[in-house]
Amino acid sequence: MTFLEIVSILARGAGFTILVTLACILTGFFSGLLAALLFRLDIRPLNWLLHAFTYTFRGIPLLVILFLVFFGLPSIGLPIPPLVAMMLSLGLICGAYLSEVFRGALEAVDPNELMAAQSMGMRRIQILTAIEIPQMLRFSAPGMLNEFTTVLKYSPFAYTVGVPEILKEATSLALTTLRGMEIYLAVGVLYFLIYKIMMEMFLWVERRYAIPGFKQI
Amino acid sequence: MTLLQVRGLTKKHDDVGVLNGVDFSLCKGEIKIVMGPSGCGKTTLLRCLNRLQEPSSGEIIFDGEEITAAAVDIQQVRQRIGFVFQNFALYRHLSALDNVKLGLRKLRGLSDAEATQRAIYELSRVEMQDHQDKYPAHLSGGQQQRVAIARALVMDPAVLFFDEPTSALDPLMAREVANLLNRLHDEKVTILCVTHDVTLAKNLPGDVLFLNHGRVEAEAPISELMKNHANENVRAFFEQKAPSE
Ligand SMILES: Nc1ncnc2c1ncn2[C@@H]1O[C@H](COP(=O)(O)OP(=O)(O)OP(=O)(O)O)[C@@H](O)[C@H]1O
Ligand SMILES: [Mg+2]
Repeated sequence: MTFLEIVSILARGAGFTILVTLACILTGFFSGLLAALLFRLDIRPLNWLLHAFTYTFRGIPLLVILFLVFFGLPSIGLPIPPLVAMMLSLGLICGAYLSEVFRGALEAVDPNELMAAQSMGMRRIQILTAIEIPQMLRFSAPGMLNEFTTVLKYSPFAYTVGVPEILKEATSLALTTLRGMEIYLAVGVLYFLIYKIMMEMFLWVERRYAIPGFKQI
Repeated sequence: MTLLQVRGLTKKHDDVGVLNGVDFSLCKGEIKIVMGPSGCGKTTLLRCLNRLQEPSSGEIIFDGEEITAAAVDIQQVRQRIGFVFQNFALYRHLSALDNVKLGLRKLRGLSDAEATQRAIYELSRVEMQDHQDKYPAHLSGGQQQRVAIARALVMDPAVLFFDEPTSALDPLMAREVANLLNRLHDEKVTILCVTHDVTLAKNLPGDVLFLNHGRVEAEAPISELMKNHANENVRAFFEQKAPSE
């Protein structure tokens, strides 16, 4: 079995790695955005809940949350599929961090521009969608890339709940062939390739929406 | 015909009166200048007039409607008041053209093509058509201000508010502002302009409202205010501004 053959077998698992990563990134993006926007409403009890969310998901190890969701919830009659368990653990952890990134970026929007929009007669929701969110997303780009790559690097935890992703395939292969060195090296190469492609795609989008001279003031 | 009638307008910040009963009126097509020492409440007055800040008491009758009433759709009112801020406050993520188009698209529901056409017309009115694709970061202060004016004018407002239109510009550009305001005045645009720039005030046709400690202490053409006026605050203000004259 050549190194290339090893890589091609592992590549089958890569599909699941990408699936888990994308699902968790999307969960993180939307839960983080929602949390950041809800924070903006500045309603006391809601703020407590949101703080509880961010502290919990940033403070408890991924594996603990994952097992709680995947093995814990079924014991109270709520069976959770592996991918959903990943979204509810890794995805929401990503969301907790992203909500901080987004909140900071919302703060960076120039209040004078918001006042200008208000003085034009725009409503709160229009100001949010036309001014605040477009600027906030651009300010958040470096932080988002950071969180997204973290998600990729934590995606092997899906292995522990039975998702046949790269590492799972690799481990089975290593057990039967006893060629761990090459196999795990190939795993490293594959992760790096996925990381590289993901980053290039992200940077492409970032450049696509870049605005000349636009930076935080 | 009176467009804006203000009676007994007050604004308190933590029990400290910033506006202490302001009365004045503004007629259609008129240009009125608001002057006064720093901190006398000029910016607060403008912001209270379209309720960016809530007045504490008083009446604001705009185009026959009392707009401090709770039932008033203030967003609707604001759409008819153009506001050009001291720092221009262009939306930095939008090109000059998109800055001008935004209100037409979001508030008037115009199609992209219609909005573009109107916006380009408005930009050419302030001689900015050659810069329509530039972003605010790449425009000079004077150019940003023109875009801000176009952004206000495109909504076809009944009145245009200016807060210190010359303070962020060099003297040459400041002179241009006077020309621009005069041109708008000739086109029958109603203007309320806050400034501490005596040169600008001298080059504008309207009366000056002299504000001090949140009260109107004089209302007259600037030439009268500068001629040994009876009110000592007015005298002090203009002596300090132009000691040689
Ligand atoms: N949010 C606020 N809280 C408390 N005081 C305020 C607030 N905003 C303004 N003030 C006070 O109100 C007064 C009037 O402020 P305003 O900005 O209207 O003055 P101005 O005439 O525009 O001054 P300038 O010529 O320096 O721009 C000032 O004394 C200021 O300190
Ligand atoms: Mg001011």
